Amino acid sequence: MNERYLNWAVRVIGLVVLVTIIVACAPAPTATPVPPTKAPEPTKAAVAPTTAAPTTAAPATTKPPEPTKAAAPPAPAYIEIGASIPLTGKFGSLGQQVRPGYAYAVKDINDAGGIYVKEYDKKIPLRLTVYDDESDPTKAVSKMETLFADNKVVAYLGGAASDMHVATTAIAEKNKVPYLGIAFALNAIHQKGYKYLFSPFPKSVQQGPDTFTILNALILDQSQRPLKVAIFQEKSDWGAEQGALWKENAVKNGYTVVVAEEYAVGTTNFVDLINKAKAAGAETLLALPNQPSGEALVKQMVELGWTPKFSLIIRAPENVTWSTNLGKNGDYVTIFPGWHNGMKFPGVDKLNAAYQAEFKRPADLLTGPSYACVQILAAAIEKAGTLDRDKIRDAIAATNMTTVIGPVTFNPDGTAKVLDPLIQWQNGKLEMVWPKDQATKPLAYPAPAFDRR
Amino acid sequence: MSRTSPEQSRRIQIIFILLLIAILVALPQVIKSDSTINLAVYVLLFVSLASSWNILGGFSGQTNLGHAAFFGAGALTTRMLWLSGWNLFPSLLAGGLVAVALALLIGVPAFRLRGVYFAIGTLALSQILYITVGNMLPMISSLPAQDLAVYQLAPRYYLFLAIALFTIGAGYALINSRLGLGIMAVREEEDAAESLGVSALKHKLVALALSAFFGGLTGGAFAFYHVGYYPQLTFGPEWTFDALMMVYIGGMGTIVGPIIGAVFFVILRELLALNLAEMHLIVFGTLFILVVLFLPGGFMGVWGKISKALARQQ
Amino acid sequence: MLEALAQNLVYGILIGALYGLAAVGLSLVFGVTKFLNVSHGELLMLGGYASFWLFALWKVDPFISLPAAIIFLLVAGVVFYKLLFGRMVKLAEGDKIQNTLLVGFGLSLILQNLALQFWTADTRSITTAYSGAVFSFAGVRFPLVRVASLVIAFVLIVALQLFLRRTYTGKALRATVENWEAATLMGIDIQRVYLLSFVMGAALAGVAGALVAVGYSIEPAMGMSWTLKSLVVMVLGGLGSITGTFVGGIILGVTESATGFFLSLTYREVVGLVLFLLVLVFRPQGLFGVKEG
Repeated sequence: MNERYLNWAVRVIGLVVLVTIIVACAPAPTATPVPPTKAPEPTKAAVAPTTAAPTTAAPATTKPPEPTKAAAPPAPAYIEIGASIPLTGKFGSLGQQVRPGYAYAVKDINDAGGIYVKEYDKKIPLRLTVYDDESDPTKAVSKMETLFADNKVVAYLGGAASDMHVATTAIAEKNKVPYLGIAFALNAIHQKGYKYLFSPFPKSVQQGPDTFTILNALILDQSQRPLKVAIFQEKSDWGAEQGALWKENAVKNGYTVVVAEEYAVGTTNFVDLINKAKAAGAETLLALPNQPSGEALVKQMVELGWTPKFSLIIRAPENVTWSTNLGKNGDYVTIFPGWHNGMKFPGVDKLNAAYQAEFKRPADLLTGPSYACVQILAAAIEKAGTLDRDKIRDAIAATNMTTVIGPVTFNPDGTAKVLDPLIQWQNGKLEMVWPKDQATKPLAYPAPAFDRR
Repeated sequence: MSRTSPEQSRRIQIIFILLLIAILVALPQVIKSDSTINLAVYVLLFVSLASSWNILGGFSGQTNLGHAAFFGAGALTTRMLWLSGWNLFPSLLAGGLVAVALALLIGVPAFRLRGVYFAIGTLALSQILYITVGNMLPMISSLPAQDLAVYQLAPRYYLFLAIALFTIGAGYALINSRLGLGIMAVREEEDAAESLGVSALKHKLVALALSAFFGGLTGGAFAFYHVGYYPQLTFGPEWTFDALMMVYIGGMGTIVGPIIGAVFFVILRELLALNLAEMHLIVFGTLFILVVLFLPGGFMGVWGKISKALARQQ
Repeated sequence: MLEALAQNLVYGILIGALYGLAAVGLSLVFGVTKFLNVSHGELLMLGGYASFWLFALWKVDPFISLPAAIIFLLVAGVVFYKLLFGRMVKLAEGDKIQNTLLVGFGLSLILQNLALQFWTADTRSITTAYSGAVFSFAGVRFPLVRVASLVIAFVLIVALQLFLRRTYTGKALRATVENWEAATLMGIDIQRVYLLSFVMGAALAGVAGALVAVGYSIEPAMGMSWTLKSLVVMVLGGLGSITGTFVGGIILGVTESATGFFLSLTYREVVGLVLFLLVLVFRPQGLFGVKEG
């Protein structure tokens, strides 16, 4: 018995040691934030306070190292911003697309010396800290708290997918830190009364009506329009939101919904849906599958011999591998990704060049909106003239500027008035078919049958 | 060499435990960083979850791969009641009880199965709930802005601390009781226990109900803690597997094993995640395997060997 | 109506064959070695990527490159066995399951994230020139690549059965399943038998992965769902029966598919799992399993 208690005592000591380790280790990572691959630590921008403060023109004192007055308090070396991004796990492919946009934007701003902050009367470079949350909303919460408590970020950038944003936006709201996030079209997140959330990305409420107004604008001959609509609706909140909006706006624009069916998230068997749509003579396919579902859907459409004249498949075809995975069968599909690298706005060419150098292709679809997030933030900080989070938040809300995704203004719920370009896969390339003044190619319509491509 | 008497070592043991609890209670007063408290919350969550899994998996030897169902049932119940205006404590209790009800509902048919059949059967049950909840409640559950404005982490921390202590205490009381001896007898030799008049089914059901109750409570605390998630999240198989890994690596069927396992697992993973970006899981996986290969009985197994060796020297 | 149902069932059988093939690999390993390899889904992923890269880089047809995928997985299997799993041979059965589960968990994290680093998180799939080809019979379409996959799975199962029943090594394997202590006494080299069954299980996973890359798509995070599915099918079919496991896979595939037709597309997997539990309630040893003890 004696021995047993001794063992116990030893074990408890061990536990105390471990708990002490928790306490000791947790704040440690402050010293070693992870710089994302392409955001180099700004070196030349970190200049001494005296050279940066031209107010020394009126020297009141003779002490050289002292700044002239209390007018410009000592400036921080960096403006800290941070993001918790799903770089691994099931949303990894989205997160990996979002990150480069942030990194390029930070690099471009820092190459120009940083952001001028009036309060300190100098340019301060941005420092972006990115953590991987493994596509787990609970881990994302702890990363967000670390960014707030240890990195002392003045603003958050978002990750990807509504599963993650639902957790991270709430933490931003709790900590009263402005949050700019993209890669989610779910409108419900914006209806919680959050004041710090901003998303320069088209939402379901915009895409529902856009689907049909764009179609009608592109296909002027009414007899040629694909009026019979099939909706394959994912059983998720976004699916329900988008599905309802499609149904409502189809009727308004003279379309008929002939098939509207729900399927579970991640389904890879679409035989019944395809057979129903085929039997009903559907001409338009509207769906928002994830990528494995989307590719299974197209493969089975080919096998079962159903080619809709027009298909809008949000999400799955946004990935660069869509076309290599499906070959010609992936063509003619359209998407609403929020951006295209052919857009004629200032900064797009530079972004494409940088992307080309690193990834051997022009910028991916999510890169533009994520680049724009940093542009908006930088402009807001400069306008606020301070690093006070609430003032930055107000400045973001009042945004009215042109970014790489075009003109951006925000609505009170944090959604934005942004362009909603329609992109189409043509010959294995992404072409912009709407808006007309930006288009790189006209809409290819109707889609020829799969076996005649 | 003089050896301490049982009374003395018992006193030492109690002092250590009280000291530890005192440290944990004082933690939010000393450390003002939400980041650290948040990590402590996360550790305590898994201490509770792993310890609750251990009641059935460790003490009664039934490998339950569906523990997420209890965690999820507790979380869902508590979240719905609490957000609809119930007080926290009745909501938590209801969460625990719903998990127990679920456990008793599935217990009798599930215990017809043995070994790997039981394990996969329970896995299937929790997957059924996982998919069904995803279909029936596909909407986000996030706290409204006015609740977030007054959100405090410290109360959440204390709730998790209380549940962790409650779970550990219950486990300790159980193994020192007649009931617990019966449960462990069933684990060692089910047929022999039956022949001595110990009802195997009854004892397994008790272990299952207790395991479910504490799993449900932990889920309830998660529901109170988390700012925004899809209800389906809490039913995911990761909860089961993470808890099980922690118990295995700490030492199954012991009180301290799950605690050490949870502390090791959560803190190592978080530290690597903060320092290594997307490479961290490769490093974590490697370290994890090394620990398993070199400490085959878990941390407690090694402790056992070391203290035995020490005793022999004395 | 009837045609649509027939079409549905055809797809159910075709996906079921892949479930079966994946589960047979897991079941073979578990039956012989009592290793519960939860990184089985990641082995499937490796096979898928082997096939994908041979196609993407050198245009090697995925059906022709199957032997290469098999060899790749055989080698990987040997490495994982020698480095990791082989160390668990001498443990008692309970400890063996426990420790292999832990090692498998660590390995799956490593493999999944290595795949992510080397090949990005993007989904990959193989589409050949003949990918959409079908032949029709009584108004029902039979997609060529999926039928070919079914045939390959079937041939492999038959070959495995012949190997286990007709060859000395195969008989040694089966003897080990029955009673490894007796097998040792008979002069069977347990280490070799274990290694053999482990690498054969890995190779079967590799083939299944390559076929998934052709019929569906692969990605680094795909492993978990295939491991879970294989575990369910392994138990549904019943331990110790290769044919039983394969048939169990087809039954699950057809059940899921038919549910979509008759009931609901959202509860397809749920109904499959409920059926699984019902089977266990009435036959606790699975459909074709042998009752233990």
